[in-house]
Amino acid sequence: MHKTWSKLALASVAAMAITGCDSTASVDEAQSGNGEGAIELAEFPDRPYWGDTHLHTDNSVDAFGFGVRLGPEVALRFARGEEVTATTGAKAKLARPLDFLVIADHSDGLGATRRLYDAPRWYINWVIGDETMLRWYDMMHESPEQSQLAIAELITAAANGTIPEAMQDPEQNEENTRDIWTTHLDTLDRYNTPGEFTALAGYEWTAMPDGNNLHRVVMFRDGSDKTSQVLPFPGLNTSAEQLWDSMVAYEEGTGGQVLAIPHNSNLSNGLMFEMTLPDGSPMTAEYAAKRAAAEPVVEVTQIKGDSETHPFLSPNDEMAGFGVKGWELGNLPLTRRTEDGMLAGSYVREALKRGLSLEEQLGVNPYAFGMIGSTDSHTSLATGDEDNFWGKHTGNEQNNTERAAQPQNLGTREGRFGWHYLAGGYAAAWARGNTRAEIFDAFARREVYATTGPRMTVRVFGGFGFSESDWDGDWVRKGYESGVPMGGELADGGSAPSFMISALKDPDGANLDRVQVVKGWLDSSGELQERVYDAVWSDMENRTRSGGEVPAVGDTVNRKDATYTNDIGAAELRSVWTDPDYVEGQRAFYYVRVVEIPTPRWTLFDAVRFGILLSEEAIEDAVAQERAYTSPIWLKPSTIATAPAIMEQSPPEGV
Amino acid sequence: MTLPSWTREPLVHFLIAGLLVFAFFAATGANEPDPNSRVIEVDREAQTQLSLQFERTMGRSPTDAELDAQIERYVRDEVLYREALRLGLDQNDPIVRRRLASKMDMAASATAETAEPGEETLRAWFEENQSRFASAELITFDQLYFSEQDAAKAAQNRLNTGSAIDQFGEPISLPASMDGASLRELQDRFGSQFSEAVNQLGSGENWQGPVPSGFGWHLVKVRERKASEVLEFEAVRDRVESDWRSATIAARKDAAYGVLRGAYRVEISR
Repeated sequence: MHKTWSKLALASVAAMAITGCDSTASVDEAQSGNGEGAIELAEFPDRPYWGDTHLHTDNSVDAFGFGVRLGPEVALRFARGEEVTATTGAKAKLARPLDFLVIADHSDGLGATRRLYDAPRWYINWVIGDETMLRWYDMMHESPEQSQLAIAELITAAANGTIPEAMQDPEQNEENTRDIWTTHLDTLDRYNTPGEFTALAGYEWTAMPDGNNLHRVVMFRDGSDKTSQVLPFPGLNTSAEQLWDSMVAYEEGTGGQVLAIPHNSNLSNGLMFEMTLPDGSPMTAEYAAKRAAAEPVVEVTQIKGDSETHPFLSPNDEMAGFGVKGWELGNLPLTRRTEDGMLAGSYVREALKRGLSLEEQLGVNPYAFGMIGSTDSHTSLATGDEDNFWGKHTGNEQNNTERAAQPQNLGTREGRFGWHYLAGGYAAAWARGNTRAEIFDAFARREVYATTGPRMTVRVFGGFGFSESDWDGDWVRKGYESGVPMGGELADGGSAPSFMISALKDPDGANLDRVQVVKGWLDSSGELQERVYDAVWSDMENRTRSGGEVPAVGDTVNRKDATYTNDIGAAELRSVWTDPDYVEGQRAFYYVRVVEIPTPRWTLFDAVRFGILLSEEAIEDAVAQERAYTSPIWLKPSTIATAPAIMEQSPPEGV
Repeated sequence: MTLPSWTREPLVHFLIAGLLVFAFFAATGANEPDPNSRVIEVDREAQTQLSLQFERTMGRSPTDAELDAQIERYVRDEVLYREALRLGLDQNDPIVRRRLASKMDMAASATAETAEPGEETLRAWFEENQSRFASAELITFDQLYFSEQDAAKAAQNRLNTGSAIDQFGEPISLPASMDGASLRELQDRFGSQFSEAVNQLGSGENWQGPVPSGFGWHLVKVRERKASEVLEFEAVRDRVESDWRSATIAARKDAAYGVLRGAYRVEISR
């Protein structure tokens, strides 16, 4: 009887699968295109839109292996604010929805682990006949822990160039990739709703010579009519220059637009921002121009650490070193240790400086980029919120209460622990509306900024002759009309540039400690310099400088219950700041760093919620000052400056 | 003629379809091979499958020799598979267990991803879930910011007795007024506390509040509230379809599990 019943049940399940017929869903043009003309736009970008440009779903080889079973659809629903069930079973929801999302699954083996996992075992054993793949297959099916080990091995194999040939079969992979890619693009169109939520197409190009991270997220401006004409460009055995060429080919072939966003330069062992070409020969103007055109923005902060700067590079910056611990030890799989000499090529501030020097030599700046943050979450859940951290991957979602204390899974496991993970950052885009075209164009003209999670509103305008009295009028209009916003360029006119800076706290978050201007320049003797200026801070009457430094803001965090109060700090800090060290003719950049008062990190929330004990080192790190980094404004000695692109009617050409 | 409502229940369709499939299997004897049998048949259909699998990997059809090799592998696999079942190796094996469980889930939901629902299905779904397809409620308001509650209250009294607005409020980079903003926009710009509080206010000429926010305190004049409206089906057809699809996938998994689960009594020792 039992047997009969279960057969009936099985038949019922099968019947359910049979009902329904194949056909593709259709969406209207506004959703499937780039959103131009779909909604009414503001005159100026009137608010930042918040997004994550770096999310992995079960289509990523490693994410799937780490255990995630949620696909792009769930990822999109979560990002736009709906409650979903995480892979490990608990309900997950964002306190505040995101405005845009780029799902950036790895182009290499797009869906390959999912297929490996779903294939019959005998097929891998006897038809493919690859021992390594069979072992990974068994590990993936055995348990979540084994599955994570398998993927750690896979990443190491990718880093070392020892991926089994059967997984690299180009024809087979191309067909599989095309299937997944086109299905994915249709899903994106279905969720892309101009004015409400923007789903941008993208992927991650995952090149990793010798385990040194050169990864880029590639992001498209267009809908599936154009993006379906290409496939994600493989990272295995290709170079960044080939990636840029493929992007140019896409733009020429389809009339669309695409850009690339380098990330985790902190794990590149100095290779991300070199002074030379990859082969060690001198940088050329041609190469620099290609790079500048393809990469207007870098991802400066995410779960795998912060790449703004390192205390070794910025010894006079007392707030350097946020999110550096653990990550500074070596490259991505920790197969090679990082030496001090490598740091300069791994951090963004130094790269911005190098760019000035290269521009002086070549006439082109390869490293003139803006900054954004993102998550790099591998759980399909795009959250950078400290009190809602869902882990780097499914192995450390919230059900794993020991995640902060555990060693990490990559490479040799030496010295990197769960608590080194940051909760992840967000990208803020100053756009005139929430559409693919508007968000993409904000990235292209670098009118974007990074935060380490909080949603503070930061405006910066650079120009000549701004004054405090400008705040009384329509200062945003004045900023756009007589200056340039973040990401813009100023032509040196013989007087010191001034900057209108407004930083408004996250309305649901912590107060602000201070606003700093970070200046980098090429001095008269050809040396690169940097300096951090405190432009404005809270409670300035009482917090007077001593020894040139602004006293610490204080700390209201209660370590026992992971709470803080806004009794210190300010709701808004604004200032017109004029460069006191301006020297005519020197190339320079200026970006703004906004620092919050101390707040609990995810590790402290974990400790309180799960009642776990953190190591002494981890406790010290469990409270931090979250921050925002704006894109720089450049001061150029040339007489030709780029007008603020937003004032033009057509989108900027190239970047 | 109208049919009784139970005839429209998907679960009923599902059970009937299940019965039919079951009857079909029972009648034709088309069943999985009996592990106790010592006969392995590799019929034409099985050979075509093997040939297709080869083709998918290699991008070409197998030669006769290659097909023979495939068959040999298949036979070997089948022999070992049956012997493994005989030895009970499928029992208590986490790999087998997870694999089979996930196949059941996939079987229940797979076709919902690409199914094209009929107009009637979608309209019915739309009618049942109208609240999800309503336009957002829109609020038009002015606000004045104060860092301290007392200052806000003092200003409120004077404003509501005719003082001019330009004498009050402290500077902050927030919109002084918004036209037709949704609660979502309010939350984005002013935070959750503010949007929840303003949502409780009626419209009128008075300055209401002070309303708290993450920034401080606000006096708010709600000039207009436009109630949410249910949208026309045609205007939201795509959203309805996407919504229907997601719900159907989830419902099929749940329903399939529910049917199976119903046949079990679970005893958990405490």
